[in-house]
Amino acid sequence: MTDAAAVQAAPLPDDAADWQRLHPATLALAIVKLGPRSFQFLPAVAALGFTGNWGYIVPAILAFLLISLVAAWFQWLRFRFRVGDDEVVIESGVLARQHRTIPFDRIQDVSIEQGLVARALGIARVGFETGAGGKENDASLDAIGLDAAQALRTTIRAHRSGEAAAPAAADTPDAAPASDDRLLFAMTPRQLLVAGLFNFSLAALAVVGAAMQFFDDLLPFDFNVFNPHDWIDLAGQYGLDQWVIAHRWIAGVGAGISLLFIGFASGIATMMFANWDFRLTREPRTLRRTRGLTTRTDVAVPVKRVQAAILITGWFRQRFGWHELRLQSLASDGEKERDHQVVPFARLDAIDPVLAEVAIARPDAATAWQQSHRIIALGGLVGALGATTGGLVAVAFGQALGWFGPAIGALIAAASLFGVRFHRWTDLGEQVAIRRGFWKPKLTLLPHASVQSVDLKTDFIQRPLGLATLVFGVPGGSSLATHEIPAIPLATAHDLRARILAARARA
Amino acid sequence: MTDTPAAHPTDPFDPEAVNAAEGLDPVDPAYAKVLRVATALNLIPLAIGASLFDWLLIRHIEGPYGLITALAWLIAIVMIISFPARRVQRWGYRIGDGQLRVARGWLFRTDTIVPFVRVQHIDVGQGPVERAFGLSHLIVHTSGTHNSTVTLPGLPADLAAAMRETIRRHIQTDFA
Repeated sequence: MTDAAAVQAAPLPDDAADWQRLHPATLALAIVKLGPRSFQFLPAVAALGFTGNWGYIVPAILAFLLISLVAAWFQWLRFRFRVGDDEVVIESGVLARQHRTIPFDRIQDVSIEQGLVARALGIARVGFETGAGGKENDASLDAIGLDAAQALRTTIRAHRSGEAAAPAAADTPDAAPASDDRLLFAMTPRQLLVAGLFNFSLAALAVVGAAMQFFDDLLPFDFNVFNPHDWIDLAGQYGLDQWVIAHRWIAGVGAGISLLFIGFASGIATMMFANWDFRLTREPRTLRRTRGLTTRTDVAVPVKRVQAAILITGWFRQRFGWHELRLQSLASDGEKERDHQVVPFARLDAIDPVLAEVAIARPDAATAWQQSHRIIALGGLVGALGATTGGLVAVAFGQALGWFGPAIGALIAAASLFGVRFHRWTDLGEQVAIRRGFWKPKLTLLPHASVQSVDLKTDFIQRPLGLATLVFGVPGGSSLATHEIPAIPLATAHDLRARILAARARA
Repeated sequence: MTDTPAAHPTDPFDPEAVNAAEGLDPVDPAYAKVLRVATALNLIPLAIGASLFDWLLIRHIEGPYGLITALAWLIAIVMIISFPARRVQRWGYRIGDGQLRVARGWLFRTDTIVPFVRVQHIDVGQGPVERAFGLSHLIVHTSGTHNSTVTLPGLPADLAAAMRETIRRHIQTDFA
């Protein structure tokens, strides 16, 4: 007891000395963040304008900027952190103070993220992955120097690996991890280019198209690539108009080529920006991924926390053997993605070694797959019926656009009837493999040991057919994309459920 | 209910048979009273709102005054009197073999199994209405995103506490 008291008393004297603040550039980042936030201020400006108080607008904006800056400054002033021998302590809050202690033992890993501005300033955002549920529970340091961030990570990692190895080996913590780190997967610019070509994006096309329509009057040049008339005008300037009008298809081809160009360019650009210099390394406990052209992120996925693997491909890229690998883990990957993308674009022979690291096997070609019952097309068919009915009602009211309803309905019905055949599953002994989708085939590899609970669902449609749907409760991932095997025979479902629940928890 | 009852070994309108066929225990019948009070607390304000709407608007635009009021109260009374008993009979649970099984619903029936070793923590809760009837509900938390909480209502308070102790012992032995 006296020893414990002495240990606790020891850190107190140097308490004040060890506290650190965030990098002063946090204030610069706060100014950058003001950009989007100033939209909140627009209604107030509009209100001032409408009431005729034009003279107050500039002072009001200045006051807003000043208050925001002072608030950011206060936050910076009241935020401090301390890296102790076996814990990180963070104190924050201007009025309501928050004091948080994170023991190194509980930190799964440290992620480092750098935006464009942060890179220019040489600072980074450090996130502590504790595995606590919910994004808001994980602590982060918004801006500290990049070298300080890397030093912090080295400290925490050394602590962890020292604890894992024998305590005697603690004096050589740097040597052991370095030999264990090895590159699993990297992307060269050439691979990125190929990946970008397959990343042809119609979604970006729609955005560009909508923007072109929207800004048609605002653009400095009066030219809309989607408007064939503009192409004819362009040809007219070169004296080609007669020829083009005689061969209208030229204008169509021109519009088509520009569409293709925009689609490919946006696909390549998004791939390049997101995955530039992509590296996936195996470290003693984690898979570590660094990537990004403007915003560089450095994320670690603890191997023991991987719950499931998801292989995604596309109907076209599948023919060339290209796949994407995501790992479902307790933590989420950034703010948008739930699953960690560990291989963005590769052939299966490059993916298999990564899967081997997380002890998940891919079913081989000889695996016998079982199909879900065709009844799962019913949802799509009901939707198709709805679209058709809606469209026909619109037609009955004299709205010719209503004919889109039956057309889309027929498409939905055909797609759902066709897609049914791609719902397959198989039990590989220690994991379940679930396949679905034709347009974007998705193969989920779910170890039995990751399953926390199993729902066996039936309803008034499946019950007379003797069918049931199995829904698995798995840690991590999106609550919208649950893992399920739809519409399989009731006895099979009961049997599979018993086998899965018999598995022990993942070590 | 458009399905044919013959396809299932039990009569869908005989809820006792449903639980028995699946080897489940029924929840306490007193839970029907809890559900009835909860349904009443939900529906009566809605019915009052509908009546006010009828009185303030439909009467003034010379619409069919009284129709909405009558319908709202009729639906509310039917739902308060007849539905809770039926809903209660479709809840079933089974505790044993190192796992908790909770089944609910008929039209959309969900039968959930949570192994005790996967339980993160357990709550036993009691609302004011439940307290009046001596009931509790058991909430089991798992680390899964789907089914992160599994709720079993309508348990006598002492049984809920006993179930909590059973599950707690299993969690401890797993980590020992």
